Amino acid sequence: MADVLRLLQADRRPLGGQDVPTDVAEALGVDGVAVSLVTEAGLTELLWCSDEVTRRFEDLQLTLGEGPGADAVRTGALVWVPDLARVRHARWPALAMEAPDLEARAVFCFPMGIGAIRVGVLTAIRRTPGPLTPQQADDALILASALTARSLDLNSAEPRLDTPAPDGSPHSLLHAVVHQATGMLSVQLALPLPQALLRLRAHAYSSGRSITDISKDVVDRRLRLDHGNGTPPTVIDKE
Amino acid sequence: MTRETRVTEIFVEVADSLIDDFDLIDFLQQLSVRCMELIDVAAVGILLADPHDVLQTIAASDEHTRLLELFATQHDQGPCVDCFKTGTARTNIDLTDPRIASRWPQFAPRAAATGFVAANALPLRLRGRVIGVMGLFRTRPDPLSTEDIILAQALADIATIALLQQRTAAHSEIERVQLQHALTSRIVLEQAKGILAERWQVTVDSAFARFRSYARAHHRQLAELAREIAEGTFDTTAIPHPNQPLPPS
Repeated sequence: MADVLRLLQADRRPLGGQDVPTDVAEALGVDGVAVSLVTEAGLTELLWCSDEVTRRFEDLQLTLGEGPGADAVRTGALVWVPDLARVRHARWPALAMEAPDLEARAVFCFPMGIGAIRVGVLTAIRRTPGPLTPQQADDALILASALTARSLDLNSAEPRLDTPAPDGSPHSLLHAVVHQATGMLSVQLALPLPQALLRLRAHAYSSGRSITDISKDVVDRRLRLDHGNGTPPTVIDKE
Repeated sequence: MTRETRVTEIFVEVADSLIDDFDLIDFLQQLSVRCMELIDVAAVGILLADPHDVLQTIAASDEHTRLLELFATQHDQGPCVDCFKTGTARTNIDLTDPRIASRWPQFAPRAAATGFVAANALPLRLRGRVIGVMGLFRTRPDPLSTEDIILAQALADIATIALLQQRTAAHSEIERVQLQHALTSRIVLEQAKGILAERWQVTVDSAFARFRSYARAHHRQLAELAREIAEGTFDTTAIPHPNQPLPPS
């Protein structure tokens, strides 16, 4: 798994190059993986996919508008389906009709996000029924967290890190103050939380300060990022 | 009331709370407060390892942002990290010792600024694995007794039980998934604090105090209500507006 995380980090493209999905599936020990991202309209869009079986499953979920991936995005909780054939019919009625024809037999959807911010979903697929091992689940959680950081481009928002972050860890998110500032900005700028976090990040990036420092200024009300009064964002001096 | 009576009371209270569909974050916060009272320390924090094995604060005896930030600096250094990495309790650490200060250059000055002079860190143990740490900080240098430490470890073990006891929509057999769920809930809570603070024009700390008393009065789980606020599905005007105005800037 460490290799895959390094690969993700070395690759500067938004979420890794073409071979990455296949490598990820192999590292996780599953038959297929896919990553779908939440769009601004709240829909999901397939970003990458390791193989045809997984692609068909993702397309089907998207077409039907229901399934484990949609549930993971909606609730922010892991959806664990070790045997698709044994799912209650009422859970995903349309998907249940199609399930017998699918090659995917076990599906595990790991939500990507930060608190109430939903970024997307990492889906792992197997052609045989059965649960993931705790180790596989651990690896998938790490990967989902690294992909979240990557898709929000969070690691690059910390120009002044005191210590290097562990592989793929969204280092800047250790601080409660960043989440508090995100919430405050979402009200201040009348933006959804994901966009509020991006504004915070962008401001940190352009001012050359860390997102934690910027967040502290926002929370202590020394800094506002709204342009409502026509003036650029101002920093109010302490005391 | 003797301490023994108080200990018994607290254990009964804990057992009662764990039977119901309990509120994990509120439970851990109250456990931290009880621990602070029983052991006679100035602050208690419960930290959980995230999927990257980085410690994140899940609850503290005092929800003030200042204390949360002190715990946050302990992601890569400090007594809690040492305890987590070695899996053994680190007790009666003198934070004023210059050797300690040079070992933890970011953590030690912040702890000193908060007034803490001694630290104890106890592992949250789960079948041979360490999933987090309970940190206890004192403003007085006198050491904790063996009895204190045994009692604190018992409370740390209760925190572990609570973490695994939570009913999540996801699958309890994967412990990491449960821990991740708890960490996510904590982040949602911080986001909701910010939303309320800006809406009400108060500090995040007083927004949280008001939010929590509303949740308790209406028997709502903190994490659940915070999620509804963050997703915009809960009308926050239902919560009485706190009357403490912002301090003049």
